[in-house]
Amino acid sequence: MADTFSLGNVTAELSIRTIDTNLVVYIVFVLIAAYVLTRVLSFLLINVSERIGWYRTTITMLIPLLKLAVYVIAFYLVLTAVIEPSLPQMIAFFTLFAAGVGFGLKDFFADILGGIVIIFEKPYQIGDKVTIGNHYGEVKDIGIRATRIQTPSDEMVSIPNGTIFSQPVQSGNAGDLAMMIDIDLFVRPGTDIDRALKILKEALVTSKYIIISDRYPFTVLAEDFPFYMRLRAKGYVSDLRHEFEFKSEVTRRAWAEFMKAGIRSPGFVPPSEEVASGEPVESGE
Amino acid sequence: MRMAGEEKPGPGSTVISYEPEMAEIISTIEQSGTGTPEHIAIVAEPMTGRSTMVAEIRRLYGDRVYYLPLEFVVRESDLPDFASLPYDIILIDNCQFLSTRRIGGFSVIDSFLRTQISSKKLFITTWNTFSWQYLSSVIHLDSYFPKRIILGRIDTPVLRDVIKARYKPGEITFLDEGIAERSMFFSIVHPKVNLPFMDDEITVPWIKLNFTVMIRKLPHHKRVIISVEDIIFEKINRIAGGNPGVAILLWDESLHDNTISFANIKEKSYSMSLNTNESFILATIVSMETLHENDLAAIAGSEMDFKKIVYRLVQQGLVHDCNGYYSVEPFALVPVIDYLKKTRRLW
Repeated sequence: MADTFSLGNVTAELSIRTIDTNLVVYIVFVLIAAYVLTRVLSFLLINVSERIGWYRTTITMLIPLLKLAVYVIAFYLVLTAVIEPSLPQMIAFFTLFAAGVGFGLKDFFADILGGIVIIFEKPYQIGDKVTIGNHYGEVKDIGIRATRIQTPSDEMVSIPNGTIFSQPVQSGNAGDLAMMIDIDLFVRPGTDIDRALKILKEALVTSKYIIISDRYPFTVLAEDFPFYMRLRAKGYVSDLRHEFEFKSEVTRRAWAEFMKAGIRSPGFVPPSEEVASGEPVESGE
Repeated sequence: MRMAGEEKPGPGSTVISYEPEMAEIISTIEQSGTGTPEHIAIVAEPMTGRSTMVAEIRRLYGDRVYYLPLEFVVRESDLPDFASLPYDIILIDNCQFLSTRRIGGFSVIDSFLRTQISSKKLFITTWNTFSWQYLSSVIHLDSYFPKRIILGRIDTPVLRDVIKARYKPGEITFLDEGIAERSMFFSIVHPKVNLPFMDDEITVPWIKLNFTVMIRKLPHHKRVIISVEDIIFEKINRIAGGNPGVAILLWDESLHDNTISFANIKEKSYSMSLNTNESFILATIVSMETLHENDLAAIAGSEMDFKKIVYRLVQQGLVHDCNGYYSVEPFALVPVIDYLKKTRRLW
């Protein structure tokens, strides 16, 4: 079977194979093999990355790249099996194809383009803690069309990759395994602030979850407000998967010492503080 | 407190592997006496020769030295009034016992450091590497010690010199079991590297190709002889990961009737899969080297069932219990450190 295409001054005869059972089986086989291969590669690399320790995210960032490569090769195999194109024919085909999908499947291909941008520009990687739109969680998979994140309440949210063109993306760790965590505690005005900061600092640096070095510094800060004082500890959790355990442990141990030292929580904390910190107000009472 | 393997006496057991470091210490001591003293910190992993250095300092400056070996976590009242001591050098061993990783666990070291910087005496202190790094990050410990002596891991030729110095020439027989035919093409060495962005030298594991072994595989007229002795020491140092204390222990365990064979050098394998609490307690024991169960309980706090944790660590052969004092098993030391570094418990 042969069709003639004309695109500007490029005219070529495109030979299209007869669609028979063998061809259909071949295409189905290529697509299934590509799917299985991506799943196997993901499984293997995620398992390897879990054993690597420090370089977990370095390994997982290869996964979307390999997936893209597998699907591009699969697409090429399918295409060449159907139409056996020459180079001018390929150019003509892709031009027409792009124009067609530009109108018909705009969002779908925007997501795929978004996937390619994510793979090469790396606004986030598998294993990162990210906020995309209103969703916060750990990136579990970056697919060709969508990114799946696991929220703190263990829900899987699928976010179209095209979202990165319209929404800000916030990555808490940018490919690193460690992540800076803010821990806010509120105490009454008139508290012995030096003593309170010393306790909070020691609760932070003795945590079993923290990592401290020149690259991962820590600090404790105090800020005075009309009805309370805010103590903020900033430190890196050694593995971002322990983000909430880290916060909880430091808060609990600091408050246990605060109570021994006679340091009390304020009677009133404005709700705006909850919004600013993004978390419910911690209280020892 | 001494870790096994560090104190084996012998004809030349002083500082065979650390002569440049010892020369630096002597130079600093000789220059002290005028102005503000340049306090010295000797920093090393467990079983890497701190006790040897301390013994040598005491041998050289015995009449000037007040020696205080710390054997457990100390309270402020356990420390003497250094100002009243009639010595101009204060030598304190195992200073990691000056602090514990818990809220309120830094008061003794804070007080000690304040005493030290206001004193005219020269303080020479020894530290566990991991405690040193932790305290340097938390309380900037390194800024109190202008002279830092880092004892790194050692290479095979140095290990051979250290061990052979304990015996007379020809006293040891190295059994040839045909092992030279299957000797190694490469060995792991630990060169010291001075990185531009770091103050201290660090030792970096590196692969060194054994060209002599490769040459042996060439046509016969170019062959060279590889001694059984070289191969045996290579194996010991590879298993010990360049740690001289572990290597000496392994040597002692493999030596029978002054005869050693390749096959008798046994390598123990450890399969570690620890949860957060177990890793934390194990890292704490490695950093302190020996910890009494009361101190361990205080560090673990109410959140952790430390008895269950240490039971699991002992049961896996990683830690041993000696009358309530917990230490890492010497042969597990290198695998444990590697594991804890990989999982970011030590850094």
